[in-house]
Amino acid sequence: MIRKKILLLGDFSVGKTSLVRRYVDGSFDDKYLTTIGVKISKKLFNIKGEDHEMIIWDVEGSTPSKKISLGYYRGASGAILVGDITRKETIEGLAAHKEVFLSENPDAKFVIAYNKADMLSDMARERITLDSDIFLTSAKNDMNVERLFMKLMEKMLK
Amino acid sequence: MKNLQKILNMVLSKNVFEYILINNALEVTNSSSGIKQYVGKNIQTGDDILEFLPELVGSENEIKGIFSDPLSTYVLESIHKQEYYVNICIEYFDENVALVLFHNITDNTLSSQKILQYSNESMLLGNTLQTILDKQNALVFVTHNNHINYINEQFMEYFDIKNINDLPRKNIIIYKYVDENLESYEALCERLNSKEEYVTINLDTFILKATSIKNTQSLFTLTKVTKLSNEMQRDTLTGAYKKSFFTQSIEKIIANKEDAVVVVIDIDDFKNINDSFGHQVGDIVLKEFTSLVEKNIRDEDIFSRWGGEEFILLLQRTTLENAMKKVERLRQTIESYSFSNIGKMTASFGISLKGDTDDSHSLLQRADKALYKAKEKGKNCIVFKKS
Repeated sequence: MIRKKILLLGDFSVGKTSLVRRYVDGSFDDKYLTTIGVKISKKLFNIKGEDHEMIIWDVEGSTPSKKISLGYYRGASGAILVGDITRKETIEGLAAHKEVFLSENPDAKFVIAYNKADMLSDMARERITLDSDIFLTSAKNDMNVERLFMKLMEKMLK
Repeated sequence: MKNLQKILNMVLSKNVFEYILINNALEVTNSSSGIKQYVGKNIQTGDDILEFLPELVGSENEIKGIFSDPLSTYVLESIHKQEYYVNICIEYFDENVALVLFHNITDNTLSSQKILQYSNESMLLGNTLQTILDKQNALVFVTHNNHINYINEQFMEYFDIKNINDLPRKNIIIYKYVDENLESYEALCERLNSKEEYVTINLDTFILKATSIKNTQSLFTLTKVTKLSNEMQRDTLTGAYKKSFFTQSIEKIIANKEDAVVVVIDIDDFKNINDSFGHQVGDIVLKEFTSLVEKNIRDEDIFSRWGGEEFILLLQRTTLENAMKKVERLRQTIESYSFSNIGKMTASFGISLKGDTDDSHSLLQRADKALYKAKEKGKNCIVFKKS
């Protein structure tokens, strides 16, 4: 079995835990509960007849006064950088998360989630610039969540 | 091995630590009985440690390195396992055995989580309030210790700045717009004292309001009311500005030492129009006359009704020569225009140029005397009176 460690990184309250919960358990809870430390989940799937296991690290969100422990970054093959599309500063902060992640894991891959897209109007969604590595996601509406994780897995296996 | 087990059993009796022993193939060789609460199932000798601790995936080589380096350790902090939070520490025991120690930190972590939750929710509330302020149509700013420490997006857009640091460069001092003599935002707040005040910034009129926040900060809102304000300044019959607006405007020009020309205009023989066609027609003529003049002046020129058939035109930032040309064109336009019901009519013009010692009264008086001369000269002409 091929096992890959991935991290979900981003500012606090951008919906990292909700994305993991949606992807792993297929569930969603509107209530905000701050993640502290890290919680690991596993997701098994089969690609071209081969079993794969994604070890998903739901890492606590960084705040202006609390940065993430660098120990969490060790051995990661990929990361999902998550921002809240309704909070501009969390999207702007993704560049810093990416920089720290790649400095610890130079060969690792990443994708980006602009989460909470359910809170935007259709017109507002159309105005957002995306590319093949950036996804508009909603854990609440299960929008692009599977595609997000699969895209990262594809990039890691290339 | 027996000694190690004795030591561990002593430690474990405090119910804070649990352990797994692994070999250099990363297989379990032994574990404490309480380990199940963290990994969720019973561990057997020979089990792959990665099955129970997926946290170690990706770090296999680093962990294997511990077996050959007695000084190395591998530490993971605040790992959420089942219902617990643990620190996991992997340490060298000998070249065949490493100790995976679980330190239960649940109580401390849950206390920290409560504080973190409260702190994060406060920050989210702050963000929400900022979003609300940014979406206001009014310009909003907050001051503290005589400095502006928050401005909303409308404020930045209106003053064409990108962030709060641009304020000093652009020399934007709001209290100076209200009164040149004010020296601080505290003084402005005190002056407003929960009341509203009109303030003119550039060519716009705003209603300024201040709200004190816990005596340390003040929130100011500037609501743009230019259009409404202009409507209030208009004469209801003709739509021209009221005389009071002319007076305000000329006083500002005098205070700012700008150039200006004042023109007093009187419709010739208007009494005959009223007598021959009735006052209703007279009113229509006044409206048409106003509309005609406003179409032939610049946006910044102010055309106001003095009373009856007499009007004042304030030409800002212009020379006498240009003003005379403009007024002559206006005279010709009126002369050649065909008014409803009455057909042709004319107007007379008296002009004064603002001098260094003029006030609004002297300027108007001179222009009025010039108009009198124009009437004496036979009407439908322009007379300029020097200061």
